[in-house]
Amino acid sequence: MKKYLSIFPLILALVLFQGCGGDKTTDGDSDTGETDNSKFPAQDVTAEMEAYYKEKSDFFKFKTIEDLPADLEWTDNSQLPEVGSPKAKKGGTTNSRLQDYPDTLRIVGPNSNGSFRNYLLDDVTVNLAHRHPETLEFFPGLAQEWAIDKENKTVYVKIDPKATWSDGKPVTTDDFFFMFFFFQSKYIQAPWYNNWYGTQYTGITKFDDHTLAISVPEAKPDMDSRVLELGPKPAHFYKELGDDFPQRYQWRFQPTTAAYVVKDSDVKKGRTIALSRLENWWAKDKKHWRYRFNPDRIEFKVIRDTAKAFEEFKAGNLDGFGLDPDYWYNKLPNDHPIVKDGYVKKVTFYNDRPRPTYALWINQSKHLLSNKDIRIGINYATNWERVIEKYFRNDYTRMKTSSDGFASFSHPTLTARPFDIKKAGEHFAKAGFDKRDRDGILVNEAGERLSFTLSTGYESLKDMLPILKQEAKKAGLELKMEVLDGTSGFKKTLEKNHEIAFSAFGTFVEMYPRYWESWHGDNAYDVDENGKKTVKTQTNNFTQTSLPELDELIIKYRKSEDADEMRQLAYKMEEIIHDEAAYVPGFVQPFYRVGLWRWMQYPDDFNVKISSGPGEWFVGWIDEDMKKETLEARKAGKTFPTSIEVYDQYKID
Amino acid sequence: MLGFEFNPITKKRIQRFKEIRRGYYSLIGLVILIGLSIFAELFVSNRALMVKYDGKITFPTYGRFRPGTAYGMDYPYEANYRELKAKFAAEKDSKNWVMMPLVPYGPEEESYLDDSYPPYPPSVSSKHFLGTDKIARDVLARLVYGFRIAIFFALMLMVVTYLLAIVIGCLMGYFGGYVDLIGQRVVEIWSVIPFLYVVIIIAAIIQPGFWTLLLIMAAFSWMGMTYYMRTGTYKEKARDYTAAARVLGAGTPRIIFRHILPNTLSTLVTFIPFTVAAGITGLTALDFLGFGLPSGTPSWGDLLKSGNENIREAPWIIFSTVFAMVFVLTLVTFVGEAIREAFDPKKFTTYR
Repeated sequence: MKKYLSIFPLILALVLFQGCGGDKTTDGDSDTGETDNSKFPAQDVTAEMEAYYKEKSDFFKFKTIEDLPADLEWTDNSQLPEVGSPKAKKGGTTNSRLQDYPDTLRIVGPNSNGSFRNYLLDDVTVNLAHRHPETLEFFPGLAQEWAIDKENKTVYVKIDPKATWSDGKPVTTDDFFFMFFFFQSKYIQAPWYNNWYGTQYTGITKFDDHTLAISVPEAKPDMDSRVLELGPKPAHFYKELGDDFPQRYQWRFQPTTAAYVVKDSDVKKGRTIALSRLENWWAKDKKHWRYRFNPDRIEFKVIRDTAKAFEEFKAGNLDGFGLDPDYWYNKLPNDHPIVKDGYVKKVTFYNDRPRPTYALWINQSKHLLSNKDIRIGINYATNWERVIEKYFRNDYTRMKTSSDGFASFSHPTLTARPFDIKKAGEHFAKAGFDKRDRDGILVNEAGERLSFTLSTGYESLKDMLPILKQEAKKAGLELKMEVLDGTSGFKKTLEKNHEIAFSAFGTFVEMYPRYWESWHGDNAYDVDENGKKTVKTQTNNFTQTSLPELDELIIKYRKSEDADEMRQLAYKMEEIIHDEAAYVPGFVQPFYRVGLWRWMQYPDDFNVKISSGPGEWFVGWIDEDMKKETLEARKAGKTFPTSIEVYDQYKID
Repeated sequence: MLGFEFNPITKKRIQRFKEIRRGYYSLIGLVILIGLSIFAELFVSNRALMVKYDGKITFPTYGRFRPGTAYGMDYPYEANYRELKAKFAAEKDSKNWVMMPLVPYGPEEESYLDDSYPPYPPSVSSKHFLGTDKIARDVLARLVYGFRIAIFFALMLMVVTYLLAIVIGCLMGYFGGYVDLIGQRVVEIWSVIPFLYVVIIIAAIIQPGFWTLLLIMAAFSWMGMTYYMRTGTYKEKARDYTAAARVLGAGTPRIIFRHILPNTLSTLVTFIPFTVAAGITGLTALDFLGFGLPSGTPSWGDLLKSGNENIREAPWIIFSTVFAMVFVLTLVTFVGEAIREAFDPKKFTTYR
């Protein structure tokens, strides 16, 4: 359910449209996705599951429908406006690009967190309910209606009896029971899920096949979301769960509640993959769902090279293309023939949502970087302002904190340290770096140079790094650039082998930001029984921050049930993070820009407020007649009016 | 050459080489280019050649950086000499002046203009003679420094691979028997390891620098040359003069270095230019693919890549780079052909 390490989709917002994988395929043994289950011994986890339910009977509770409290206030929020446009046409095939082939079709476990998971799970699946993209209230998905019992920290849910898995089996309460068993199981090799589903929920109760209740430990202000955003797991599909889960389920597509499935025959490893719309999808006439997921097929082709993908786009083989400043201004300017002649429209859409954390993450476990003055100096020596001005042409804005875009939960006054050579010099001097070497880099008494490696996995953004390097040199700081490919760049940071990383985490639309993942000491060091600390790898604490004071606040924040208190705690934590200076906030892109062939149709207001790309909410559709017309017109030299569209209804400030 | 005198045959060969005009002049041209590139800072640099400030003349090109404060600016980092020049020029009756190199830009320096965005087209007035790339770095500066890195990389690569090839080839040829048998198998096995994949794998884990890249490339390019050395050594070893030297009591090292090597080396010499050309293209290819020198280092491969990416909006990048590459590689090839011809044992062929 929760997207944890997803970093790759960020590139999507900048460069690509509808899809770019972050992961490389490592498995080239067969070309199709046909699953050869014969090589795995038969096994059945059912008995173990039932024993588990029995053993943890205080978590897994079985009651009858008569036990359902009578005084519950049921809501279904059916009054919320539709998502998408009634003008949407079903049908057709759209063509998208993947930068890398997905590592796996699993949606949990090792290497399952690539960006293609968005199409398998995050962007398409139907959970109990979903945040409305405009009002942020919940609209129903699998749940027909729900009731919140704040006092008992429990949410009651009635599942829509029409809901089925893509293989036709009905979605029942058992699938929610199994979800907990599944995510708490060691078999899935996903500690984050084990932790989340083991600690963030206190129990599930079955009343009948379509009525259940789930309890949470704290009545957080958004406790409804903890439950309503849950998606079940099909017990019948995961029956063979066991130690070999990652291999056994590597290329098996899990039955889904979503409109799209991946057929085995569409998996051509390393080359193409496709989503096919279910003709008889259970939610096809449901309000809030009926105008979305319009194309019959969404085909993805691996095109590693962005320049090549752009050529394919211009040829009409890709329907859309994300336009970063270079593409927007230089490669597809408004007077480019295909734009001028109206075949391709250029769209700018201002969105309003939590911002990805593009920043420099300073690894405090590395030599010299444990020194706070050096870190503060690095903050002052990092000239993001110039990057924004010169590289992003002032279209972007400076990020202020580690959690921008969370409305009242973002710190109201805090800002990032500006580029200031004098202050940087003062702090570097405090740390003993007060003399300049032959080439102007600071050195200390011991002759050590103030020199660090700046690693990144963002090849597409590598051209802005020389600006940082050149400006840092003015302050006497040497940044050696290391541009790795996406996967190894991210792995390097996960292994905490970086000194300074230019990286970012995707953010989800939530009420308030998360701190535990990136800032809690538990994610920085393992402490053994002798008190010896070792660096903990594979966590999101890229800065290796480990402060007892901050840890305490994070736990308090996690437990807090009062929005005001949480707000104050968030401000306090943000101030500590600012003071620690291991995080150099980068930039915020307040919009996304795409080029779209004119046959790609979108609602009148283009997209929803919280969308991070045109494809994310699946509100668009393809007009096949217009496609034919456009291609013929292009051949004949007939033109259409130029179309440069700006949608700024959600622009802030 | 390795401390021994040219024998008459070699002298004759050199004479013959000189007579092949195209190759000879190409060599001179190449040597001049390399010589100039060693002193590239005097022609292409963001550091001034000479600054007169407060009655004192300074030469900032080489040596320690000079902070802006040294010239009356208010910052502690390296003086921006272009700005300094403009400032002095604006001062009335100023006795201060700055003399900049022909191209006043550094290879890694971005020089954004205030009123427009790069890539900037070639312009004499801005002294971007070949324009800039899309992050405002001067193309000519990158070409010049890229050439320096590439040519020295190729020369050093040649020296290292030849050393390896000579040692291993001579050992196999001289000792023969099991040394030869095992050595040959090792060479055969080593030869089939796909070099590019190894580099890609290594580059995915660490970012290779100049020396690591040199070592990796050397480790995978010495094999071919061992065959020539081996056969050459076999041949010379069987000659009477070698036997005579041994009878006179010369030790193995003396026989190899004093007698055999001078007589086998001539084969290698004919390969040198082509090895250099291969070294340049090899490095360029790796840079182009993104597995070469660290990002930001001026390199032809990087320029080709950037030129290719911006072929429509900045065609000057790819044109200048391709021209420079073709020019240098042609020179090298001409030299190579001439050497091969001069060293041709069939002296009076119709090769010309």
